[in-house]
Amino acid sequence: MPQISKLETMITAGNFIITAEFLPLPGADSKAAETASGFLKDRPAAVNVADNPHGPILSSLAGSVILEKSGIEPVYQIVTRDRNRIALQSDLLGAAALGIKNVLCLSGHHQTLTGSRQSASVYDIDSIQLLAAVKQMNDDGVLLDGTKIAGDFKVLAGAVATPDMKPLELNMIRLTKKVAAGARFIQTQAVFDLDAFAGWIKKANQLGITSKTAILAGVMPLESAAEAESLREKYTDLVIPDSVIDRLKAAGDAAAQAKEGMAICIETIKKIQSLDGVRGIHILSGGKEHRVPEIVKAAGL
Amino acid sequence: MIVAERKSIPDLVEILQDHKKILVLGCGTCVTVCLAGGEREVSIISSALRIASNIHGLDFEIEELTIERQCDNVFIEEATDAINRNDAVLSLGCGAGVQALAERYAKKPIYAGLDTAFIGILEDRGIWAEKCAACGACVLHQYGGICPITRCAKQMLNGPCGGSREDRCEVRPDRPCAWQLIYHRLKGIGQLERLTEIAPPKNWEPGHGGGCRVIVREDHRI
Ligand code: SF4
Ligand code: SF4
Repeated sequence: MPQISKLETMITAGNFIITAEFLPLPGADSKAAETASGFLKDRPAAVNVADNPHGPILSSLAGSVILEKSGIEPVYQIVTRDRNRIALQSDLLGAAALGIKNVLCLSGHHQTLTGSRQSASVYDIDSIQLLAAVKQMNDDGVLLDGTKIAGDFKVLAGAVATPDMKPLELNMIRLTKKVAAGARFIQTQAVFDLDAFAGWIKKANQLGITSKTAILAGVMPLESAAEAESLREKYTDLVIPDSVIDRLKAAGDAAAQAKEGMAICIETIKKIQSLDGVRGIHILSGGKEHRVPEIVKAAGL
Repeated sequence: MIVAERKSIPDLVEILQDHKKILVLGCGTCVTVCLAGGEREVSIISSALRIASNIHGLDFEIEELTIERQCDNVFIEEATDAINRNDAVLSLGCGAGVQALAERYAKKPIYAGLDTAFIGILEDRGIWAEKCAACGACVLHQYGGICPITRCAKQMLNGPCGGSREDRCEVRPDRPCAWQLIYHRLKGIGQLERLTEIAPPKNWEPGHGGGCRVIVREDHRI
């Protein structure tokens, strides 16, 4: 039988969970992943490997395997943007065969938001259908076309959520479906608006969602006001309030702004930790893996 | 209707430069309605080509004609003489019209003068928007009459992506998120429960996923 992941064990045990994100480089060198793994060792229970968020980089499957080899448990991210159901299921089988135990199913930012905007649109299945496919592979040992999987297959499936997405009713319909489709954990987009997040998690508590899945709240250390402004301009799922940007600006020069960004991140973690229904923190390092140990330490995680 | 847009005059000049006698052939159906390839546009494009011909010394001799429907052999017939007396045809029909001509006139170069874009409607003055991707197995009844395949940039069938905003799609600030529209529409007609069920993966075979499509109606073949 395949082994149960550390992440799954912690979810079942009810521990407070830290996960982080690793963004591979557009290169064929495993060194970058190994260097990043130096920063990500020890504290995070598992580390996500991003699936081409801004255009082609080292594949998330290869990145996951490299992390696994360096002793870090990966969460293999898989977006439905670039691969049809044939490729998705094939990659899932391959991942499981290579020892990957956690997958995160998401639709991914649209290709026109990446550097490869001329790319064809795939979106054969959506993120909820991918979760349901993984569930079927896990529970029934069967692929979408009815083919029986040879041997064992077992992975822990997770999904993403955007607490800022409105209206709340629609947001909850989507979250409920993700959990019904088999998401055992949910990593959220970075939280900056704590009131909005508190309202969201309260609703998820009321609907009984938080007792069925482990919600890990996303946090992101901002580097500067300029970075924050360009991120929120480009990605509609990243809602950064003006108050956060004003605080960064008021901090002063580049070094002071980066320090303030870190302080905001730590404050956010502390406030999130006190909310009912939150089972952990997901550190969206966005390629700044070296900042993860600092965040973990400063937040006293 | 089929919505199309005119290619630029420099592009058309490049396509046509090796020919002298050119028929600019308009179509009186969809592309007339979307102001891309009807009689009026035939006249405008022909004038522009004549001017370009003078500037570049190309000796174009342009003839103008518009027929009712280029995708229909009955109407194409009306253009036969004009097609025969010219060296090439610049069709202002949609992609289907251009190919219908090319299939019928094997020895005549037929060029597309338009970029055929989508099946859509006139949403507002001067704004045409895509509404149907001709997937071959319509699911509009499940989504309150708003097509997630066409109008959601990620053709999500189970709800919005994380980038959905109440006032826009993640992909374009000037377009609404289809899923916000679907949500409000289903709520308005008392069918919101349709969204709680998980829609299975779509069968794309009746669509372009199954290869170039053909419909055979035996009852019309006798
Ligand atoms: S479901 Fe298919 S046929 Fe119906 S409107 Fe959408 S694309 Fe067109
Ligand atoms: S924002 Fe809405 S319409 Fe745009 S891709 Fe996401 S769900 Fe689809």
